[in-house]
Amino acid sequence: MDFVLNGKTTRFDGDGDTPLLWVIRDDAGLTGTKYGCGIGACGACTVHVDGNAQRSCVTPVSTVAGRNVTTIEGLSPDRSSKVQKAWIAKDVPQCGYCQSGMVMAVTALLKQNPHPTDRDIDAAVSNLCRCATYHRIREAVHAAAK
Amino acid sequence: MLQQSEHAVNVSRRGFLKGSAALAGALCIPLPVLASGRTVDSGPHGTNEITDWIWIEPNGKITLGLSQCECGQGVYTGMPQILADELDADWENITVTFVTGRDAYRTGAAYEEPQQFVGASMSATLFYQRLRIAGAQAREVLTIAAAKRLHVRPGQCYTEKGRVFHGATGRSIGYGELAEAAAKLPLNPTPRLKAEADHKLIGKNLLRLDTPAKVDGSAEFGIDVRVPGMLYGALKMPPTVTGKVTGIRNADVVKAMPGVQAVVQAPDAAIVVATSYWLAKKGADALELEVDPGASRDLDSDKIMAARVAALGAPEAVVATTLGEPDAVLAAGGKRVEADYHTPYIVHATMESVNATVHVRDDAIEVWGPIQGQDFVRNALGKLYQRKPETIIVHTTFLGGSFGRKFLPDFVVHAARASAAVGKPVKVIRSREDDIRHGFYRPGVSGRFRAVLDEKGMPKAMHARLTGQSLYGVIKAERMAQHGGWDETMLEAIYDCVYRVPNLKVDMIDVKQPIPVSFMRSVGSTSSIFMLESFVNEMADAAGMDPYRYRRALLAHNPLAVRTLDAAAKAANWDRKPAPGVTRGFTFNLYTGRGEAFQTYVAMALELERAGKAFKVRRVVCAVECGRSINPNLIRANIEGGIGFALTNTLKSEITFKGGVVQQSNFHDYPLLQLSEMPKIETVIVESDRPPQGCGEVSLGPTAPAVAHALYQATKKRRRAMPMGLDG
Repeated sequence: MDFVLNGKTTRFDGDGDTPLLWVIRDDAGLTGTKYGCGIGACGACTVHVDGNAQRSCVTPVSTVAGRNVTTIEGLSPDRSSKVQKAWIAKDVPQCGYCQSGMVMAVTALLKQNPHPTDRDIDAAVSNLCRCATYHRIREAVHAAAK
Repeated sequence: MLQQSEHAVNVSRRGFLKGSAALAGALCIPLPVLASGRTVDSGPHGTNEITDWIWIEPNGKITLGLSQCECGQGVYTGMPQILADELDADWENITVTFVTGRDAYRTGAAYEEPQQFVGASMSATLFYQRLRIAGAQAREVLTIAAAKRLHVRPGQCYTEKGRVFHGATGRSIGYGELAEAAAKLPLNPTPRLKAEADHKLIGKNLLRLDTPAKVDGSAEFGIDVRVPGMLYGALKMPPTVTGKVTGIRNADVVKAMPGVQAVVQAPDAAIVVATSYWLAKKGADALELEVDPGASRDLDSDKIMAARVAALGAPEAVVATTLGEPDAVLAAGGKRVEADYHTPYIVHATMESVNATVHVRDDAIEVWGPIQGQDFVRNALGKLYQRKPETIIVHTTFLGGSFGRKFLPDFVVHAARASAAVGKPVKVIRSREDDIRHGFYRPGVSGRFRAVLDEKGMPKAMHARLTGQSLYGVIKAERMAQHGGWDETMLEAIYDCVYRVPNLKVDMIDVKQPIPVSFMRSVGSTSSIFMLESFVNEMADAAGMDPYRYRRALLAHNPLAVRTLDAAAKAANWDRKPAPGVTRGFTFNLYTGRGEAFQTYVAMALELERAGKAFKVRRVVCAVECGRSINPNLIRANIEGGIGFALTNTLKSEITFKGGVVQQSNFHDYPLLQLSEMPKIETVIVESDRPPQGCGEVSLGPTAPAVAHALYQATKKRRRAMPMGLDG
């Protein structure tokens, strides 16, 4: 099956039930997308499928046939997206493991809702951060929305 | 790659930092050249090694060594900041690299033999002086080399942003041009350190050096390691926490599955090795194990709790502290306060589950991974495969969280066993489920506190009894036996109680359990401070006193404590009435580092507001006196994250056992705090002229008792057990 990964047509020959996460990481070699839980609970594996945030650990690769998948590596060539810039300015990450997924989730949110309220952010971002960088994540979302 | 002869030049010089005969031996290891082109253990990190920590290329590029793993605490920025300041390097022109395998990178803290590890919030305290000396030594030899070149005296020169200047003539030479000559000069064991007022980087709010790589996916965590010829491994572990694999029923069936290369039996797991992780995982899920459940087969949470509670009333216990005549004063009359508290077993649940990549070869064993204790890995693999520790090469990646978990080498051993079986490098990733079910837990504890108050409401006498599975009783049994048989981790901040209590008894009972336990962020203090601070608040309530002023009276003898209390109260506007619907909690913590390595003062004012039928923690003000700031931005991040981490513990975390099996398995039943539940946090860093003290764990302990007391104000119900939830 073929799908478009960060703008490039990509072929995967394995089982269609393979989670998109492992195809991205092990076959395409793009390791910015992380494994956290395997059940769609933590969001460390968040990518965009046709522009919408999706948890790749519970997305069978067969379901993205012919569709556009964007990972953190495809978000910008030089960390220049407004979300990435806000993340750097607020120095959000601690261990950093969840931050690819956070950046992808927030990027999708701001596309749909360019000026989210705190309540909008609460409702939209259910990704988990064990370091609890949430305090700065919220500040960075507002900064990116300015 | 540096030549062997250039290493020899540095042998005598390196001894100045931490003289050791073993060092020369460590430098004679043949340096393996890797197909992947990575730098290797004990090897150079560029040309012109000035010290164990500093390499300078002819073009002026400076590489600074980092011995401490970066697991989110900020050492990747804070440690180089110290080196670069004393070195007068240009902060914009430095590279940081993880280094290992030398005595300069080892510390003998926390009652351990000198070894390379991160733990107990001690990196800043233990390395501050060592890194300042290293930076100053390098600056000195660079200055001497420049003076020689310019035919002037070193004393006429000064350094700035990677150059040596001759003040009188304004001539200057860049460090790059001087590096080769400087690398050959002997190092001064006592170089002149900068005056604090001259520090240009130490104390500054610098942004983290690793943030850019962590927002574009390029930061390499253990799970991201790829080495040529690598295979992937997935585990099937027995159900119980003490389970052993005694056989595999269907190894042949699984071996025939797509991509599967091998099925390996380890004592505590079966490992399926395959050409991709997903194929390995499918194979592991299909395995049918024969298991021996081990000593935990009858382990149930209610039995554990019953044993702990029974011990609370036992006539005898191991006494850690006796001040005055606690028994007599407690037996006499007076206003009494009594309360029991309980905390559960909890687990680290790092976002990056434990994983490692290992290649067991004849000449060496190479390890890549999220390693918190490099020498623990060397020792574990050295013992297992009868190798000399120096032939075990450890490459440290970024750690996707650790909180103490990745200090243990169990997950590296799994990858080593898989590699040894197939003769290729293998990356073994533990599933989230096994990460939670087969962790090393923070033990649950019960506590009984009793006090008699004087006519002013202050404690005349107090007795604190804690019971539960002792961490040191498992991992440092010998040390514990030699030091009175009580466990300082269980009694943290109680056995050395900072409050003025003239008659005090602190004792404990180790209620043995066959549960694997280890250090977890803030260790026993996440239980003991919850209990002690909750009890202080209950005494304040009995005395009819405000919890801030009550503590101020109990700590009047300790000026730093009072300063910290006042800083929190001021920032929180404590003396102003809270808004309608808002209740507050006030707590304090004197956090003493392991082995009394440091002391950090923390005071916390927390606000809770009603949110529908439940409550929400809306704001936390945390004042911290942790010595001189190396980087306030990093201190604030540690305080903020520590409070969020503690709120997960306070509100949600509980590991329970049934028949030896952990009942939780993933984030749906072992939930973490969510963004929507995170309060606004204001960190107040109290000015200090003490050397840097630890700050990574200090904000956890005071959080739960502050929540509990704010909930009590709102509901008039005491919350004496964790997790407590925020329901009305």
